[in-house]
Amino acid sequence: MAGHSSTEQDPGLTLTTQQPVAQQRIVDLLQAAWAVFVKDLRIELRTRYAINAMVLFAACTAMMVSIGTTFIGLRRTEEALLIQASLLWIALLFAAISGLSRGFVHEEETRTLAALRLAAPALAVYLGKFLLNLALLALLGLITSLLFIVLVRVQVGSPLAFLGMLAAGGLSLATSTTILAAIITRASFKNALFAVLAFPLLVPPLIIAIQGTAATLAEGGWLPALPALQFLIAYSVAMFVASLLLFRFVWEA
Amino acid sequence: MDIRLIVEEVAASYGARDVFAEVSVELCAGETMVVSGQNGSGKSTFLRLLAGLQRADAGQITYLVGNEAFDPRDAGHLIGWVAPDLMLYRDLTARENLRFFAAVRRISLDDQAIDEVLARVGLAGRSDDRLAAYSSGMTQRMRYAYALIHQPPVLLLDEPTVTLDERGAEVVDTVIKAQRRHGIVVIATNDPRELRYGDLVLEFGGT
Amino acid sequence: MVQQMAQVGKLLIGLWMAGVTIVMFLVIPQYEGLGNAGRIIIMHVPTAWVSVLAFAISAIFSGLYLWKRKPTYDDYAVAAAEGGFLFTALATVTGMIFSQVVWGIYWNWDPRQTSIFVLLLIYAALFALRAAIDDVQRRRQLSAAYSLFAFVTVPFLIFVAPRIADSTLHPNCVFIQGSTCDGISLDVGMIGLLGDRKIQLIGMEREGDLVTAEVIVSEPGLSGETTLRPSFNLATGTMADRPEFPGLRYQLGLEYVDPSINSGLLNIEAPGTGLLDNQITLFTFLASIAGFTALFVWMLNLRADLLGLQWALAQRDGGRV
Repeated sequence: MAGHSSTEQDPGLTLTTQQPVAQQRIVDLLQAAWAVFVKDLRIELRTRYAINAMVLFAACTAMMVSIGTTFIGLRRTEEALLIQASLLWIALLFAAISGLSRGFVHEEETRTLAALRLAAPALAVYLGKFLLNLALLALLGLITSLLFIVLVRVQVGSPLAFLGMLAAGGLSLATSTTILAAIITRASFKNALFAVLAFPLLVPPLIIAIQGTAATLAEGGWLPALPALQFLIAYSVAMFVASLLLFRFVWEA
Repeated sequence: MDIRLIVEEVAASYGARDVFAEVSVELCAGETMVVSGQNGSGKSTFLRLLAGLQRADAGQITYLVGNEAFDPRDAGHLIGWVAPDLMLYRDLTARENLRFFAAVRRISLDDQAIDEVLARVGLAGRSDDRLAAYSSGMTQRMRYAYALIHQPPVLLLDEPTVTLDERGAEVVDTVIKAQRRHGIVVIATNDPRELRYGDLVLEFGGT
Repeated sequence: MVQQMAQVGKLLIGLWMAGVTIVMFLVIPQYEGLGNAGRIIIMHVPTAWVSVLAFAISAIFSGLYLWKRKPTYDDYAVAAAEGGFLFTALATVTGMIFSQVVWGIYWNWDPRQTSIFVLLLIYAALFALRAAIDDVQRRRQLSAAYSLFAFVTVPFLIFVAPRIADSTLHPNCVFIQGSTCDGISLDVGMIGLLGDRKIQLIGMEREGDLVTAEVIVSEPGLSGETTLRPSFNLATGTMADRPEFPGLRYQLGLEYVDPSINSGLLNIEAPGTGLLDNQITLFTFLASIAGFTALFVWMLNLRADLLGLQWALAQRDGGRV
């Protein structure tokens, strides 16, 4: 505000004062976002709605896949790796959809949206919830992968590239769905609607993530997975920027 | 603080049904307005518009601080809002709630300051209970703590004493009297005891 | 006056589309090798074009609504989405019919099929979202935000996905004009990739002016192999025999042979060279695109006006919408 009023009076002064003001605003925003994240994490750890649903879902899927496939004894052909990668991402997708809308839906259910809207900047809310979803997905990704390695006998040929793929895929999931969670909080049939809205936006990154993950299950190192990683990161950046631009309209609706 | 609230020809509707139309009023620091009218006449909606929680269908609401103008949606730092539909985090304690709201508002509020605020609304000693365990009267007191931590120049009170006991009502009386000295108070009520606070009264007709 | 012009416009669109349909079935020559089924692309490509156009228009009006907040913009966004949904469905069905006739498969997760499938899902999601929100202003604002957000995926679908996936049913280089594909030059004994098929040039034999190449063609995924024998006329410098790929209406052509007969240029060829080289066909095609676009614009205006009227009526009655 101080920087703003000085622009009209002294153009020379703006260069020296406005930059720190802008910087300070970004720092404030990030700290507010962090506060939202910590608050949500604390509530999540106390209630465990999202974590329970997601992990149980992933565990059930891994169990079903394990029962269904271990007797076949798949040879490690290219097709077998693609099938394993598809199953892993199916488990991750549906587990994620059951939990990622939690951050916003919980605010609506406990009717705390108004209190948050008055106190917190819109972008801080978005970033806080986005961080929460990233954290949930990181946990979910690790648990699901471990379950698949143990129960489905998935062998990871290039572990680092596999982790990179998991991270990039999770990033795409989080950037595509966080704003959707805000959209559906004001609608009826929230959870079903969340899946309906999320699925079309997740088709492109999931196709790529499955192909890329299959590549990292073989012993090829980073290189075969690189195009997929690039696509997922570009997709995430586009969705993230679009979310930042559109979130205000969703939040104030 | 020099603050003014300017409402120009504001209208609100629910779906295609008009709730009220062409409300114009202007308030300066030190003034209190009471909004009254029967149920469904749009008192709460009007306060939500003032708080920026809802968008007016027509007209303009502006907060003027010095010569800087704020849209209500960007004026969260100027506003303290208390209403029956204000809810805080029931899974967090009173202290955690206030600490969180102070953090997102970027104001520093140490434990001592939190204790002071809670004591002021009569919740001393209950600061480490989760709000899920609070009674409705205590919840209403907690709403005042939420609305006051950032010392807003504008207080918007929707049914200020609902569910409060005598001592609670006294707390509200103190809060309103303190606020009137330097800021704006808008009260939506039909309680005759609260009507007397108003320097001006806005009567909503309803249909 | 305006109303009369609208009447005339409506009539013109009707006549225009009737004309396109008649020409499409009775005047233009058959797509050689495909029979009458080939005519469907006169409908297929324009409907696909309109479905993308509609999505863009819907996104533009959604953006305008968020910016200006005039209900009319929302009406147009909805109308464009509804029209777009219809045309997307048409494009999908006509494409599936064509695909079944030409390639023997209705659906193959070709990148463009994936894209249009996603487009259908987005439209469906948009309608589901609108149905699930009671408050009118909120419904408008949230669906506008979703429509813009979903639009961000379009460049990824259109530009990125086809380049990453290996197989496509839409070989543009063959489709539009006989063949503008680059083809591949192979020495005898070498292996190369043509489209999504692995090919190996086994040998070449000369009989008079005619050179016949022996080529082993592998199915995608190496599930099967066939030997094809395309030939080249050295005297005229043109392709002679062009055998069809197994199960496809595309042919393998030998476009050039070097004088020592050690290497040759192999390429995919469409059966009838240059469907759109035929002037009448080309003009019918363009007329169809223009007609469908006009039809869509007319539907858009009509539906948006109707939505505006509904809203005005609801406001007059003071009821809920």
